[in-house]
Amino acid sequence: MKKLSLLLVTLLSASVLASSALAAGGHGAAVDEVHMNMSDKASLQNGAKIFVNYCLSCHSAEYSRYNRVAEDLEIPLWQLKENLMFTTEKEGDLMKTTMPADDAKAWFGVTPPDLSLVARVRKPDWIYTYLRAFYLDESSPSGWNNSLFENVAMPHAMYELQGVQRVVGKIDSATQEVDSHGKPIAKEGQIIVGDTIFELQHPGKMSSVEFDKAMSDLTAFLSYMGEPAQLKRHTIGVFTIGFLILLMLLCMVLKAEYWRDVH
Amino acid sequence: MAIHRHDNHKSANAFMEWVDQRFPATKVWNEHLAEYMAAKNFNFWYFFGSLAILMLVVQIATGIFLTMHYKPDAELAFASVEYIMRDVPYGWLVRYLHSTGASMFFVVVYLHMFRGVIYGSHREPRELVWLIGCVIFVALMAEAFMGYLLPWGNMSYWGAQVILSLFDVIPFVGPALTEWIRGDFVISDATLNRFFAFHVILLPLILVALVFLHLVALHQVGSNNPDGIDIYENLDEDGKPVDGIPFFPYIVIKDLIGVAGFLIVYLGIVFFWPDLGGIFLEKDNFAPANPLQTPPDIVPLWYFTPFYSILRASTTSLLEAMLWINAGIVAWMWIRSKISIKAKIAFSILAAGVAVGLYFGSGKAWGVVLMAAAIVCFFLLPWLDRSPVYSIRYRSMPFKIALVLFLAAFFILGYLGMNAPTPGKTLLAQICTVIYFAFFALMPWFTSIGQTKPEPSRVTYEAH
Amino acid sequence: MADNNVSDVNANGMSVEDQKRRRFLTGITAGFGAVGVGTAVVPFVLSMSPSERAKNAGAPVQYDFSKIQEGQLVKVEWRGKPVVLLKRSGEMMAGLDAIKGSLADPDSAASIQPGYAQNNQRADAARPELLVMEGVCTHLGCSPVEKLAIGPDPQMGADSQGGFFCPCHGSKFDLAGRVYKDVPATTNMPVPPYKFEGSVITIGEDDGRNA
Repeated sequence: MKKLSLLLVTLLSASVLASSALAAGGHGAAVDEVHMNMSDKASLQNGAKIFVNYCLSCHSAEYSRYNRVAEDLEIPLWQLKENLMFTTEKEGDLMKTTMPADDAKAWFGVTPPDLSLVARVRKPDWIYTYLRAFYLDESSPSGWNNSLFENVAMPHAMYELQGVQRVVGKIDSATQEVDSHGKPIAKEGQIIVGDTIFELQHPGKMSSVEFDKAMSDLTAFLSYMGEPAQLKRHTIGVFTIGFLILLMLLCMVLKAEYWRDVH
Repeated sequence: MAIHRHDNHKSANAFMEWVDQRFPATKVWNEHLAEYMAAKNFNFWYFFGSLAILMLVVQIATGIFLTMHYKPDAELAFASVEYIMRDVPYGWLVRYLHSTGASMFFVVVYLHMFRGVIYGSHREPRELVWLIGCVIFVALMAEAFMGYLLPWGNMSYWGAQVILSLFDVIPFVGPALTEWIRGDFVISDATLNRFFAFHVILLPLILVALVFLHLVALHQVGSNNPDGIDIYENLDEDGKPVDGIPFFPYIVIKDLIGVAGFLIVYLGIVFFWPDLGGIFLEKDNFAPANPLQTPPDIVPLWYFTPFYSILRASTTSLLEAMLWINAGIVAWMWIRSKISIKAKIAFSILAAGVAVGLYFGSGKAWGVVLMAAAIVCFFLLPWLDRSPVYSIRYRSMPFKIALVLFLAAFFILGYLGMNAPTPGKTLLAQICTVIYFAFFALMPWFTSIGQTKPEPSRVTYEAH
Repeated sequence: MADNNVSDVNANGMSVEDQKRRRFLTGITAGFGAVGVGTAVVPFVLSMSPSERAKNAGAPVQYDFSKIQEGQLVKVEWRGKPVVLLKRSGEMMAGLDAIKGSLADPDSAASIQPGYAQNNQRADAARPELLVMEGVCTHLGCSPVEKLAIGPDPQMGADSQGGFFCPCHGSKFDLAGRVYKDVPATTNMPVPPYKFEGSVITIGEDDGRNA
């Protein structure tokens, strides 16, 4: 019987792990791992700033409210009103884009999707890689393309920060040098994003390292926005589980007490 | 005033005396709790009955609070769920309790069913307890399926589309029936609205009623125990089983440990990993329903995947294999089996009918039949199991081997159901499908062979 | 393994200390459980309070009151309720003192208003003539109709100084929203928090000031 229980537990945990690993893997495209710290308020604030300045002009975050973002990210309200909002908006308004959906459709061919939940549909690693994988492509209607999401309608919104990239080629896994973590090492003057090697044609305002950091901040902010409750639920969870462990111990003592009757 | 008391339960005080003359409060309390005798050797597996009731209560309670904010309207449903997750104070907690609760309900119910199988709780005289339990399982699947449409995410939409299309295979009326269930030519606002009605009113009522019947039937025959023996065979001078203890307080207090332990796991998931890496909340369901774009792989939630795998495994090659197996069983029966010639002829005619069906039927139709059969098999268990002993502790080796094979097949099917099919995986699913059905089909045989251990006359229990 | 017989042992064989310990453990576990259940109820109760959407819809509203003529009344919606803005004339202001004796709560002691509006005019001293008031009867929530004219009125009485009359149950209020004696309502109509910035009034926000 013990053996059977053990087998069941093993099977259960194996299938949970296998399936969650599978679900996390997603579409199997090569993505870079993003390093986010959801308790780093400065990083989230920076992500929010980039989001409002570069994303919100075309994309909305229509389930998210300005004042909630300010509260959760500890951004003072005046700062929010002055830097992040349009004057006509109330602080509790939803973060809607100013671009009319019909115009957007006419310009890009598709309405830019709402980004409130993008981090729950796409994994953070995917977003982080996607944001850094834009390159110049004269054959595409917008003039831009993306090595992770080929022929995406979206142009590169942040080229003034990143600079303009050109594709050198795909990584050849047989000959590519990797570091001790298995991460490919880029050659001098080259950048590797996902499985693609780029080189900078024009430098941007940020260095490659700075831009990567900015994009991981933005990814962190998008992750936060996908589920604002995640900043709170861990704290509540620790107290709840602590209480339940105490309760369980008490119940065990009580059971032992009553079951002394049972011989 | 002539009040005829039909029982001799002593009321605790004057007030209860007054009540008891009008309502059987003390009688019910005594018969179902204070004097309901359960075996003293209940173990870990006996937690899951009370935990299933706990989950039913949790789902109803959280469900009530979700309906206060949810909008069953195709235009508003998705946004109203996000409204609950963000704008409603603690709405995220109520929603996660409900979404994680649905999965945990199934975890508990599956383990509860497994307990029945390993200790023979479905055997005489508890067949009706088991049958009502199987109906609860089916009702719960219907409840979960309809609930899954409500967030109106893209997986909700396509999942419902695919599963409802199964009704298409019913001869003659199928397509019309599907249309009638949907109330439209595709899944639409009308479907969402009626699923909402079923999910929040009809099925909860049915479930509560069934659980009540389940308990009534159980208390008529008494609970089984890990030794699978009848505790009423050994009575003391008062006519009470010597191995029995009153359900209240002893089992209730013991169950409290189970409740606390279970809550640690359940709330641990709610607070620290509510989507369980995409298993409890699928990532494609965070995109709104889009009738023009199917998600890359449509997979149901984990608790349906073993059956979904069986559905998908049904291809022409599986039907061919089944034809051969069918023929093999008949041949073996004529050569080796000792049953009467009449039974042999009857069985052969039945097998011939199945063979004709397999030969002319489509893979799709058989998939639906097999999936339904996979669930119906559970209903037949009390009559398929022929072992002289009830508990796995005394069962023969062939049963144990068969059970382990079945478990492995069930888990592999469940895992494969969460994956996009590939030729290799489909073959594996087909092998597991065969094992799954073989477990039930061969059960009368493998439970009657091999050496069982002698059952004890008293339950195995050592006081601490 | 001795023969087990729970109920008898339980009833007879327990010492006083055993019983005490058992009762203590039961009590402490029950108490713990009660705390747990009580805490678990909190999020459910809170989930029924106004959501962020409701709060945003109920956010302060602004209105340029320079447009209001003397003796004119406008209604502004705030939190779904009609807020009365009335620029009272000198005659109207004088009337407020005349009827003090026939009011139920002339000093607004039992009524709802910010500290700066708890006075005879029930208005901020910066603009005493401007009445800002939730036009909601304190009896059962109807919206009283305005009777601004001074003089005899079928509902307000022969010597009316102007006021508000609730058509539902006949409560009467003066031009400061103060309730008359002997009518169903017992308290004055509430004054919401408000503040001025030039000729713009913000209703629903006063930066926490009290005077």
